[in-house]
Amino acid sequence: MQIPIIMPQLGESIAEAAIINFLVQPGDAVTADQDLIEVETNKATMTVTSPCSGRIEKFTVQLNESYAVGAVLGQIEATNEEAARVGLDVAAPVKNSETDRISKPETIVRSGRVQPTVRGLPVPANAKGASYLSPRLKARMDELGLHAADLAGIAGSGAAGRVTVEDFEKFIAHLEKQRMSKASSMRVAVADAMRRSWTRPLATVGLPVALDALLAHRKSSNPKPGPALYALRALAIALSENSAPAGRLVGSKIVHPSSIDVGFAVEAEDGVLVPVIRNADKKSLKDLTERYNELVELARQRKLPADATGGSIATVTNYGTFGLIWATPIPLPEQTLVLGMGAGRRAPFWDEAKGQFVPVTEANLTLSFDHRVLDGGGAGRLLQRIAELMLKPEKL
Amino acid sequence: MSITYLEAIREAQAQALREDPRVFIYGQDVGAFGGAFKATKNLAKEFPGRVLDSPISEDAMVGMAVGSAIEGMRPIIEMQFADFSVVGFNQIVNQAATLFWRTNVPCPVTVRLPFGGTEGGGPFHSQSIEAIYAHYPGLVVLTPATVEDAYSMLLEAVAIDDPVIFCEHKFLYYHLKAEKLPSEALPIGKARIAREGRDLTVVAYSAMVHEALEAATELSAEGWEIEVVDLRSVKPLDTDTVIASVARTGRLLCVGEAWPWGGVTAEVIARVASEGFGLLDVPPQRLNAKDTPVPYHPNLWMAHRPTARAVAAAARKILRR
Repeated sequence: MQIPIIMPQLGESIAEAAIINFLVQPGDAVTADQDLIEVETNKATMTVTSPCSGRIEKFTVQLNESYAVGAVLGQIEATNEEAARVGLDVAAPVKNSETDRISKPETIVRSGRVQPTVRGLPVPANAKGASYLSPRLKARMDELGLHAADLAGIAGSGAAGRVTVEDFEKFIAHLEKQRMSKASSMRVAVADAMRRSWTRPLATVGLPVALDALLAHRKSSNPKPGPALYALRALAIALSENSAPAGRLVGSKIVHPSSIDVGFAVEAEDGVLVPVIRNADKKSLKDLTERYNELVELARQRKLPADATGGSIATVTNYGTFGLIWATPIPLPEQTLVLGMGAGRRAPFWDEAKGQFVPVTEANLTLSFDHRVLDGGGAGRLLQRIAELMLKPEKL
Repeated sequence: MSITYLEAIREAQAQALREDPRVFIYGQDVGAFGGAFKATKNLAKEFPGRVLDSPISEDAMVGMAVGSAIEGMRPIIEMQFADFSVVGFNQIVNQAATLFWRTNVPCPVTVRLPFGGTEGGGPFHSQSIEAIYAHYPGLVVLTPATVEDAYSMLLEAVAIDDPVIFCEHKFLYYHLKAEKLPSEALPIGKARIAREGRDLTVVAYSAMVHEALEAATELSAEGWEIEVVDLRSVKPLDTDTVIASVARTGRLLCVGEAWPWGGVTAEVIARVASEGFGLLDVPPQRLNAKDTPVPYHPNLWMAHRPTARAVAAAARKILRR
């Protein structure tokens, strides 16, 4: 009697799994609970085990394809006694159709590939809920130049909490009773960039770095590089060694940066500007200093030339200038990374050689990143490398 | 004095015969018998030689009418049931509809179709086939929902130079009454706001207007204000009035007694979606008869056609989104 091998329920939210390895071949004798097929879900690699002992008759699935929970993956030829032992009715007629061989009626058979899922999670056919905006609502928002983020404060009264046009009009009517002033075009541009960026899952990692060597180096330099420039140069070198962390995820592809152009944030009136240093990995800190200082000045005057803005692959921001020691800056929408630097402060450091605490000047380095592209480990290694480079400023 | 929908149709024909010597009525048993539904009762006596019995051939009836129209007459053809008109389909859609476009000779033929469901009518005596005729360029398709419209629109149908498919609802024949005949009317091709509201637009025509109005009354008790648009004529279709209404309400439900597939409700939704997408606050919906032949059994028939209760249920779904 043939007994089907069925894709098991691998986890609560798992709807499908991809076949990555066959551990046995057709014709092999197998025992009950023996590992037969390695499968990969969006969470882990697992194995499909044999429902009974017998001989593998065939596999009916392809490598690297995804199959739904409950799908028939193959057949095992087993004795009638064995079938009866695992609770299968021997007397039941064995049908020939591929999908009819499921013996447990509660098992849902979904044959073939599963289309409407994204990495194992079923995608609802009609999007609704708080994020659903009807055509009328969108048209009305367009008319007023509003974005979805502007509606965040409205509790929708429609199905599943969606914001209806009536909710929207009430909100607008309420706003009109309050004092309003016009946001500057700089404010609107920053808002637009941050809103677009925030559509991604962003995360931040951080670590402290001792600044004593850097500060000493800075003191002896002429002209003096800004502290952010050290961080910028360290980031550029680290990315020149491995540019993948600065790649962008578009669909199922990682788009790698073509050159290490790094921007840095400069506060300007009512907003932030990001001048860019091209090929920051190719020039030394010393050679970059003059250009950096020039760009800071131009940015403050809001006179940045076109070739000094846009197209950068990462940004450095020195929020330490505001006295902050920690922040989670948001990368620009077209970037995966933003390196942040906190204010330096005196802190005790345990000196193993001296067997005592010694005072050092320390600042936090933070790396905020698009978690779709980079994980904590990758971001951590990049940040470690940057910190390491900053400890030897003379080599930057 | 009160007058029914059926009597209004008879009166309109009498008036047309009276007003214009070119008008005559042709159909099975329309003469001495007065027609299958008595829509031509006594007209043969009143207008001798102008209300003529035809052979049992819809094909021949329409063919003869087209020929007489070419010769300058303005015939009114009575089909016993709309269902039977498809026997004369070729003459209607290939000859009458195209005549003017081929020859520049107008074809002022009016074909009266007693249509729509009645209890126990079954598959051959209940069909709503306005959409089939509306599909053909050259035809005007009218679907009056009131006694007043039945009268004034039939008079206008006879007066215009295009072939007209005049869909008169059998269920309304005896159920609908008015105090008197109208002295003025909206022009053909103009829809009517049958009830004003701000929450949902229900577009309907013919008998479904009354189901929609009943549903609107039911829903008003729940605090909803339903706007009911009576299309009056499905071709030409008054898209402007529909879109203006959707602009007020943001929600659209189209109700038709005909089947859903490629029908008038589909056409209305297509037009609103392409011309007024930004007006819609929820996906537009339609409610039609079930996509099966019309059942005989009264219980099945009530489940088959949209009723006021079904309209109200569909409306609630839209209103709660």
